[in-house]
Amino acid sequence: MARSRRVERDTSASRSDTSASTSPERGIDDDNDSFMLQANDSQSSLAPSISPDFDEDTLQREIEERCRVSPISRLPAELMIAIFAKLSSPGDLKNCMLVSREWSRNSVGLLWHRPQTNKWASLKNVITTVRKVDSFFDYSSLIKRLNLSALGNEVSDGTLQPLSGCKRVERLTLTNCTKLTDLSLTAMLKDNRSLLALDVTGLDSITDKTMMALANNGVRLQGLNITNCKKISDESLEAVAHNCRHVKRLKLNGCSQLTDKSIIAFAMNCRYILEIDLHDCKNLEDESITTLITEGPHLRELRLAHCWRITDSAFLRLPPDATYESLRILDLTDCGELQDSGVQKIVQAAPRLRNLVLAKCRLLTDRAVLAITRLGKNLHYIHLGHCSRITDAGVSQLVKLCNRIRYIDLACCSNLTDNSVMQLATLPKLKRIGLVKCGNITDRSILALAKPKQIGHSGPVAPSVLERVHLSYCTNLTLQGIHALLNNCPRLTHLSLTGVQAFLREDLLVFCREAPPEFNDHQRDVFCVFSGIGVQRLRSYLNADSRIPVGSYDAEGTMFDESEEPEMILNVTAQANGMAIDEMDEEFGDGSEVMGQD
Amino acid sequence: MATSTEAPKTVTLTTSDNADIQVEREVAERSILIKNLLEDLGGDSNEAIPIPNVNEAVMKKVLEWCEQHRKDPPASQDDDSDSRKKSTDIDEWDQKFMQVDQEMLFEIILAANYLDIKALLDVGCKTVANMIKGKSPDEIRKTFNIQNDFTPEEEDQIRRENEWAEDR
Repeated sequence: MARSRRVERDTSASRSDTSASTSPERGIDDDNDSFMLQANDSQSSLAPSISPDFDEDTLQREIEERCRVSPISRLPAELMIAIFAKLSSPGDLKNCMLVSREWSRNSVGLLWHRPQTNKWASLKNVITTVRKVDSFFDYSSLIKRLNLSALGNEVSDGTLQPLSGCKRVERLTLTNCTKLTDLSLTAMLKDNRSLLALDVTGLDSITDKTMMALANNGVRLQGLNITNCKKISDESLEAVAHNCRHVKRLKLNGCSQLTDKSIIAFAMNCRYILEIDLHDCKNLEDESITTLITEGPHLRELRLAHCWRITDSAFLRLPPDATYESLRILDLTDCGELQDSGVQKIVQAAPRLRNLVLAKCRLLTDRAVLAITRLGKNLHYIHLGHCSRITDAGVSQLVKLCNRIRYIDLACCSNLTDNSVMQLATLPKLKRIGLVKCGNITDRSILALAKPKQIGHSGPVAPSVLERVHLSYCTNLTLQGIHALLNNCPRLTHLSLTGVQAFLREDLLVFCREAPPEFNDHQRDVFCVFSGIGVQRLRSYLNADSRIPVGSYDAEGTMFDESEEPEMILNVTAQANGMAIDEMDEEFGDGSEVMGQD
Repeated sequence: MATSTEAPKTVTLTTSDNADIQVEREVAERSILIKNLLEDLGGDSNEAIPIPNVNEAVMKKVLEWCEQHRKDPPASQDDDSDSRKKSTDIDEWDQKFMQVDQEMLFEIILAANYLDIKALLDVGCKTVANMIKGKSPDEIRKTFNIQNDFTPEEEDQIRRENEWAEDR
């Protein structure tokens, strides 16, 4: 026993120079680390003839003995790391660190990859350890992700400064750590060449100094979020655009101080931009938008909500025949200058748009809607809330030509009647529908939505896949329609009926969600939203009350059966959870279609 | 670039202890290493494929897994991020399959790594991770027969430096 112990010491001594190099990304170092163990590996089942010649027969015999006694020591470092990577709890990883020297070297990188900094006590311990001169490992070089957002405004420069020795941080998330200033940020960024993503949302005291430090160091930067950092000017962002050319994701929300200058600099220098969110950058004008689209061949998501100055020219200026196939998401909420001709050009230039948000673009008419129908099956998400000029004619064309719509919002489109909704009800994939303040609609609409869908022309009849239905202030609605909706939409998780008189009854309101705290008395009086379990309870209650006629279409099993309720509910939840993934699959599918066509 | 129709239906694998194992090509090709070797050799070769790093007993066990999973869809591109997802759920058949002594367990892991069978490697790693979960350092040492080579001072130092790491 003593002998094998001595051997272990020998092996660990021979590898002492590679300690603390076991972070999962660093494959080359890992190889060094596992030198001895790879020898073990070949020992385990290699044919004797191929076995490398070892002069030190004794050493080899001892290794063999060790592998016999403890078979796990056959695994090289990279496989031990692969095993440790399956442990989700830091507690388990800490226990692995305490097993032996070898185990600690192979687990420390994983444990320190993203230290727990969501509580003061843990953050304090992390800081103390990182600052120690004679620590067991060089922990500061192992931290790749640092997120202090959970502690928010409790974090000060004095908290962050001691962590500025962590020069390999790849993701630094400081959302709403509002006390932080340039002092600790510049120290953090200086000499860090590894940074991939920086989130300083809401740090309203940071200035160009921080952004210049980023420009001078963050050569690998891919993601930047400076939401509501009002003191950052065009000048420093131009420097970032020039130096950080790998930027893919930009969020500059609420930076109304910025002008076209910095946005054009990003467009001209960062050719890999995938997503840019300029929500509330109210100073932006058409030129920056045109440039973002023409210069960004990969641009996938462009968000321009409340960029009031944008006009049709932003799009009409695009070259006549150019198309931008990557663009999938365009948000123009409240870009009130936008007119039908702008939308026509958008659809022509970006034929693969999947999400189009035109809420509060009040000048739009059915002509814009007819243009949108050219997106065909690519269109999944369309928001036309407050586009109050559109009529049943537009909606009916939209449904005919874009039958893969999953989400549609037509709030305050007050011209719409039951005819629109009866068309919308035929969309086979419709999950969410918003009809708030569509005052003309009646129970006919709701009964149409509740009706099971036929899949294809002669396919089987399937229950509706509706999940969220917004019907607040549709004042004509009564219990009958909603009862049918509840019984025919097993996936329903949200139903809003605020201001609909027929539902403002004590016996129904008990299943309603709590009104938001900021609501005034009147708003509370009319608030009526059922969600999650509330929807199920409302359904059960209406079904149990024999005075209310049961609303259902047929007896073919699409009717919601009380006795199966628990199972059904589980199903619904599972499906809801799987939703995001579904969407992704869908998109990959579309992508491969394109490749096939090319 | 042999098309699968021309290719022979079975292949012979020669293990480190010189045993020849006949196996259906589709089953053997769960191993990316073997798949690539076969492609390099061209479709019409009947040569035995030498697998010098795996012995007969382990190879048979690995092939048993490949047989069971022969129709699994190929690994998606997301596979890397998937294996990062730290779930240690294992399907029932695989759990039973992995009920072997530690010697065989680690040989399977080594073989899956060498033969490049990602899904099997993943199951192996999850199995070991499950043996570690919830155990104290001492219980882990006992489970795997590992010597504690820390001094008490060192152990105490590491404990203090990593105090923050609690169970979530």
